[in-house]
Amino acid sequence: MKTCFHRFCLLFVLIAGVSCSEDGTEELNAFNITAVSPTSGSVGTEITISGNNFPSEASDIELTFGGVAANITSLSTTQLTTVVPAGATSGEVRISIQGTSKTALPGFTVLDELESARVENLFAPQEGGQGQGEIGGPFTKFSFRTGEVTDSETEWDIAFRGTTIAVNGGSVTGTNDEPVRNGNAGAAIVNGIYDEILTAEGLEFAQDAQGAFAIPTGSDNGWYNYNFMTNVVSPIPGVVLVFRTHDGRYAKVEILSYYENAPSNPDGFNDASRYYTFSYVYNPNEGDTNLGTR
Amino acid sequence: MILNKNYSAIIFFFFGLGWLSAQDQERQDSISVNPLEEVVVTATRTVRQMSSLPLPITLVDRKQLEQTGVTRLNEILSEQTGIVMTPDATIGGGEGVQIQGIASDYVMVLIDGVPVVGRSSGNLDLSRLAVGNIRQVEVVKGPSSSLFGSEALGGVINIITEKPSSDKISTQLSHRTATFNNQNTTVNVSQRKGDFSYTLFIDRLSTDGYDLAPQDEGQTINPYYNYTLNGRMTYKVNGQWNIFASARYFYQEFDTSPDVSLETDNNIHVRVDHNPGEKHKLQYELYYTRYTTDERTSDPIDPELFVENDFDQRLFRPEIRYNFSPRDGQTLTTGAGYNFETLDRSLFREQVRFDSRYLFAQYDFSPFEKLNVIAGARFDNHSVYNSQLSPKISARYTVSPAIALKGSVGSGFKAPDFRQLYLDFNNVSGGGYSVFGKEVEAAGIQRLQDNGELASLQVDPATLGEPLEAESSTGINLGVDYRKGSFSSSINYFQNDFRDLIDTRILATKTSGQGVFGYLNRERVRTQGLELDLQYRPVDRLKFSGGYQFLLAYDREAREEVERGEVFTRDPETNRTVRLEQADYFGLENRSRHTFNLKAFYEIPAWKANTNLRLTYRSRFGLTDRNGNGLLDEFDNSFVQGYALVNLSFEKEFYKHYRLQIGANNLLDFKGRNPLAAQDSELLINPGIQIFSKLNIQF
Repeated sequence: MKTCFHRFCLLFVLIAGVSCSEDGTEELNAFNITAVSPTSGSVGTEITISGNNFPSEASDIELTFGGVAANITSLSTTQLTTVVPAGATSGEVRISIQGTSKTALPGFTVLDELESARVENLFAPQEGGQGQGEIGGPFTKFSFRTGEVTDSETEWDIAFRGTTIAVNGGSVTGTNDEPVRNGNAGAAIVNGIYDEILTAEGLEFAQDAQGAFAIPTGSDNGWYNYNFMTNVVSPIPGVVLVFRTHDGRYAKVEILSYYENAPSNPDGFNDASRYYTFSYVYNPNEGDTNLGTR
Repeated sequence: MILNKNYSAIIFFFFGLGWLSAQDQERQDSISVNPLEEVVVTATRTVRQMSSLPLPITLVDRKQLEQTGVTRLNEILSEQTGIVMTPDATIGGGEGVQIQGIASDYVMVLIDGVPVVGRSSGNLDLSRLAVGNIRQVEVVKGPSSSLFGSEALGGVINIITEKPSSDKISTQLSHRTATFNNQNTTVNVSQRKGDFSYTLFIDRLSTDGYDLAPQDEGQTINPYYNYTLNGRMTYKVNGQWNIFASARYFYQEFDTSPDVSLETDNNIHVRVDHNPGEKHKLQYELYYTRYTTDERTSDPIDPELFVENDFDQRLFRPEIRYNFSPRDGQTLTTGAGYNFETLDRSLFREQVRFDSRYLFAQYDFSPFEKLNVIAGARFDNHSVYNSQLSPKISARYTVSPAIALKGSVGSGFKAPDFRQLYLDFNNVSGGGYSVFGKEVEAAGIQRLQDNGELASLQVDPATLGEPLEAESSTGINLGVDYRKGSFSSSINYFQNDFRDLIDTRILATKTSGQGVFGYLNRERVRTQGLELDLQYRPVDRLKFSGGYQFLLAYDREAREEVERGEVFTRDPETNRTVRLEQADYFGLENRSRHTFNLKAFYEIPAWKANTNLRLTYRSRFGLTDRNGNGLLDEFDNSFVQGYALVNLSFEKEFYKHYRLQIGANNLLDFKGRNPLAAQDSELLINPGIQIFSKLNIQF
């Protein structure tokens, strides 16, 4: 009887062992998630999720961003890529495979999308100058958030008067009728092709200061060249102005023309000037230096 | 343009036919006159056979001046190989000469070896100089500061006036009338009587001017008149002493009522030659010149208000030269002089003054028969900027009677001018910006600061007033001459490297938002190219010549920036910014890559007549940057298409004393199109055909 018990026990252990080893096999087949990159992005941003034991069929995977289903764009056993789906909100990124559901990232931030636009004929008149006495008159203020000219004393980022551009950051420069700066805006001049400038990371942002604008005034000094022969103010090709807005967002600007309706060969003596046409990309997410993707 | 070229070809074809038919006659006539060996003085400051010199030289003789019927120096120079006349940037400011791609600012102009002063923004208006009393014009290309000092970077143009040759009083009267009511009268009286000779020259020119912008109000060139009076005398005291004296008076007034614009250019030149022995020759020279302008422009808003712009420049220069020729073919030339220069200008706070002293020496020798070497240097010491040493060496090697090799290396400099040193300009009408010359910038900035007008200084205050360096250049010329029978040719490679060219920079910003500007040495520029000259004289009566220049002229910094991919441009079609390709950087403004000229001069003794046809062509050139990147590139819509000008003249003598000449300049009526014209309006490059006739009476 004792032997019988022993045998039973052995059998039990064996069975248990077998069942244990079956349990182990099940554990090996379960998927793991090791990384999600990046951990924030706007709708359409490509997200890479790394791990192991991903199935070979994308249809076996359910992936959600804050509950909104996302498509898998590529898949291997250790990595999958997806894009942030339209309508996604910040929250959990979750993956379910064959009934097993796991949290890939508890707090994914869905960013607001970059805003690209072109402003045409922003009129920046000035009083005086060019033989008409001392320069003065109000600046035309512009807000990247609204993408429009604004009268707000506080909610403006950059302001134009003639060829001068002020930023809502720093101190008074000493010129007449300048707007009060109450934000933290700054400007950096980058030499390059607008579409190839993708980040504000690492740039030094200057602010307006006594006697000096963040974007230096004068021909061949800041954003434009003045040709006395043709009397034309031309934006310097390759000069991209990168701004930090009054509230810590980033934007890049390429000025295209200083003349009304942006003629390709302005007539310096007859065409109306002080009309800015510019392209910009604005990143509405605070502190995010991303200014586009290639 | 294609049409233009075709016309030219047709004209030359007929010319060729005329020559063929004339050739038969020629053989029978068989008048054989050896062309006199041309001599020049500018290259060495001694009399030298032009063909034996190691330097590239262009010579325009009296005959060419007469046969072409030109009246002003600019007209004849523009027909020479490698010389281009470029319009001044300021309308009505006259034309400047460009040699080997080097702008007028860097070309020295002399009359009988002494300098002409009076430049507007660096540009010397050569239309001021009448050609009626000129024996020849000598142009030495390449830097020549080793003999002539400041300004002789690109070359030297020396106008040699005519000497009387006859014992009898020789009187020449002429009147030329041309399109645009251009009336030119000249009187030339000269005589050589024993040891004494004199010449009196009077020239009056008036014109209605012309307009290149028909739609705009006013004229491009306003009506004007001018007078040139020139008297010169020589007196041979004895075998050892000669005296030469010359006085010139020029007066010009533009009709710009109610504005006033007039200028005068006067000079007195006295030289005493002393030849104590065969081997020794001394020259004592005194020269005084004064150039003034008087301009009053009425204010566009208040016509009662006038803006004055007066200019009064004077130069007094004593110079001594000594030539020592120990042996035939060896000459040591030395000289020393002093320049006293003053300028009074409305835009300066006070009269300014330059003093400079100089010494030069040159040794011209032949170490062996086939080799001629000229080595020299000049030292200039100046009251304001640093001293300059300008060496130059050149050599010519005769390979065979037909072939000679030439080479020279020299340096040139241009002293900072009065404007760059002393300008104290506050532009009231232009919005209140200021420009300060180097010598007054520290004081000027201080003044603005004291008045509380300054918002910020944009340069290190320690650098204010640091002396400007002279602009300088090194030039290399390498060439081969080939001559065989009635054919001669020369080919020359040139390269000129300019350093420390003076540019403007921003010094400070005013509280009004306007800039304060100053000058600094910055740019490096290179011009390089190839010149080819051909001459063929199948018979004495007929001369064909052709010349071609290939030119590259660029800012070296700009080129390096383009190479590094740091320069961008905007495509005017798409308004997109693109990185500028190296091939799309065109180079300096107003430079044509290709220029050429073709000329035929033909004399018909049987008719006592002569005729000539001259064609000049310059290829496409750009006027200015338009897309804001500060350099001229293929995306700038500022290029003038290449064009040719054809000039023709015919002259016949009758009743012994009379010569009648008719002709046309710009025969094909080229007008061109200036790309900088305002939209829907027209701006021309050239006013079109100018027909002339000229009557010359000599007795």
